Amino acid sequence: NGIDDLQPLESTIPDVERFKDTANLELACPSCRQKFLFGGIVASNYYSICYNGLQCKKCNHMFTPLQTTCQLERCIRSHISLYYAGWLHCDDPTCGNVTRQISVFGKRCLVENCTGVMGYRYSDKQLYNQLLYFDSLFNCEKNKKQEIKPLYHSGDEQYPKEQLTDSSIKALAEQNRELMNLNRGIVQKYLSDCGRRYVDMGNIFEFMI
Amino acid sequence: EPQLYKFRTMRQNLLDASDVLDEQIESFTKIVQQHFQLSPSDFGDPTIQAQNEIYTVGRIVPDSPSSDDFLNTESLALEISRMVGIGRRVRLDLTYVSEGSFFSGQIVALRGTNATGDSFTVSELLHLPYPNSPVSTADELEAYKATLNGSDLKVILTSGPYFSDTSFDMDYLMDFVDRINTKVRPHVLIMFGPFIDVTHPMVAEGTIPHFTNLKTQPNTLDEVFIKVVAPVLKKIDQNIQVILIPSTRDAISKHAAYPQDSLDKKQLQLTKNFKLFTNPATFQLNEVFFGCSNVDAFKDLREITKGGNTSMRNRFDRVSELILQQRRFYPQFPGAIKKLEISPGKSDDKVFEHISGADLEIPYLGLTEMVGDFAPDVIVIPSELQHFTKVVQNVIMINPGKFIKPSGAPGTYAQITISSPNINDGKLTRMSDTEPVYLHNVWKRARIDIVSN
Repeated sequence: NGIDDLQPLESTIPDVERFKDTANLELACPSCRQKFLFGGIVASNYYSICYNGLQCKKCNHMFTPLQTTCQLERCIRSHISLYYAGWLHCDDPTCGNVTRQISVFGKRCLVENCTGVMGYRYSDKQLYNQLLYFDSLFNCEKNKKQEIKPLYHSGDEQYPKEQLTDSSIKALAEQNRELMNLNRGIVQKYLSDCGRRYVDMGNIFEFMI
Repeated sequence: EPQLYKFRTMRQNLLDASDVLDEQIESFTKIVQQHFQLSPSDFGDPTIQAQNEIYTVGRIVPDSPSSDDFLNTESLALEISRMVGIGRRVRLDLTYVSEGSFFSGQIVALRGTNATGDSFTVSELLHLPYPNSPVSTADELEAYKATLNGSDLKVILTSGPYFSDTSFDMDYLMDFVDRINTKVRPHVLIMFGPFIDVTHPMVAEGTIPHFTNLKTQPNTLDEVFIKVVAPVLKKIDQNIQVILIPSTRDAISKHAAYPQDSLDKKQLQLTKNFKLFTNPATFQLNEVFFGCSNVDAFKDLREITKGGNTSMRNRFDRVSELILQQRRFYPQFPGAIKKLEISPGKSDDKVFEHISGADLEIPYLGLTEMVGDFAPDVIVIPSELQHFTKVVQNVIMINPGKFIKPSGAPGTYAQITISSPNINDGKLTRMSDTEPVYLHNVWKRARIDIVSN
């Protein structure tokens, strides 16, 4: 009933909204083992993007490209594996059944007399959005326009003490374009195999055959 | 057929998954009916109360959906197909079963009664029939014999990881390649992944060392394979055929689900003696059928045994039989997962980080069934557990063990030597058919050595 029910197109939702539930990318410094969240070319108390790459603020270690790409890849793979663990949950809030069991009627809840509908707790849409979030972190254009989802909000304990200027972000993005694209390539490797990215034309036009 | 493995991952549909789970029960119902010469009217719905004894086929599941771990003989239920019992589940009473072995996801055939409506009392556990063995004609066997010039077929099996937990040192692999080329000289070398393990501790910490012998350092894990591992593998003699079978933990595979697509030969820059197979893969080397699957069924399959005779038997024998009976290389459902406890600290709530798992793509589990309902002559399922070789129901089961132990200590590989087929030496069984065909009896003709690296 009316235009209010129309859902916005996925691609028109701003990243902040679209990625609000995605997990952060956590990196560990290979030298001092300090763990920190990576949020793109942004201000952070833990790392800085220099003209020649990513640097740990605690021990001043400069990451080699492999030291970031391998951690990113492992993080992506654990998300994919968590997706394939196939945890289901029941949509009836009074039931709350969480299980990896699947009924031969997939959506039926296995709790006796429950009429709730089962669904994947980590859905393919969430996984796809997670990959798109990782992709955005290494997207030079989005970094330059400062469209990356912020890691912290003012008032957070870890909120960065110093901010980066618009011009330095632009310059750093250009200087690190190769590194950014290298990491983006890792995300794209998995996005290229992601079924959600591709519309199944056969399914849509089945009625015509 | 390898084309079927080229599906896109990360888009499972729950209804497709449940279709496959239902179909498993239905297809075994037909096998049981045929094998035991039962009529459809002998079968009933075990979830409803009835006075008479019935036969039923279903899946072993826990009696509560929230209890995935630690099942016992008191906590099992049977799930029925949509058609027979609209997918209901009923608790199993196994008091009168003296011997048996059960696991979550197993398809079983039972005889019993549901007298009260609450549970199904099992009076007999029917032994599922083993799949048939493949056969060849005399002409085919003669041809295979000729290609070998009458000598033995030699196959080497290795399984990753190929690095220890603390280094990316290639010495073991270089030594191995050298030995293969100069001393062992097999016809075929089958290598199982993981080649570059995404769960390797040094990958997680980003502490992969500088490769001092390289002019330009690898920038990605794919490049670690191309620049560090592939050059060593390419030293394998061109006359030795090398088969690579991936693992879902392989960084060099973008298809992180089982069943898994083969690796990409071009991208990995490998030469023409390399054949890249899917996981699982069934293939023939001369007459010998190999079934290779790279998910650790031997470790993951958690049985609940009943009876002294059952529990006294070797576990690998039991699990091997269960795999053959289920006709799937990884019959456990749900698949195993590996998680790590993080920040134990203050609260009682344990927090876990998911690390890896069997990563089953359920809608495609059909691809993990034994091809053509035949049991391969040799089944290779690498496992983290101690290496072994067994003959179970005339099928050779092999776990070659890890190439390198996590500590860096040398691991093992398997060497198979199979005498060339000879229809006159009495080792092949002639089947009485109109056209004479022969059982391969590989278990009688093969010698398997587990060799320390």
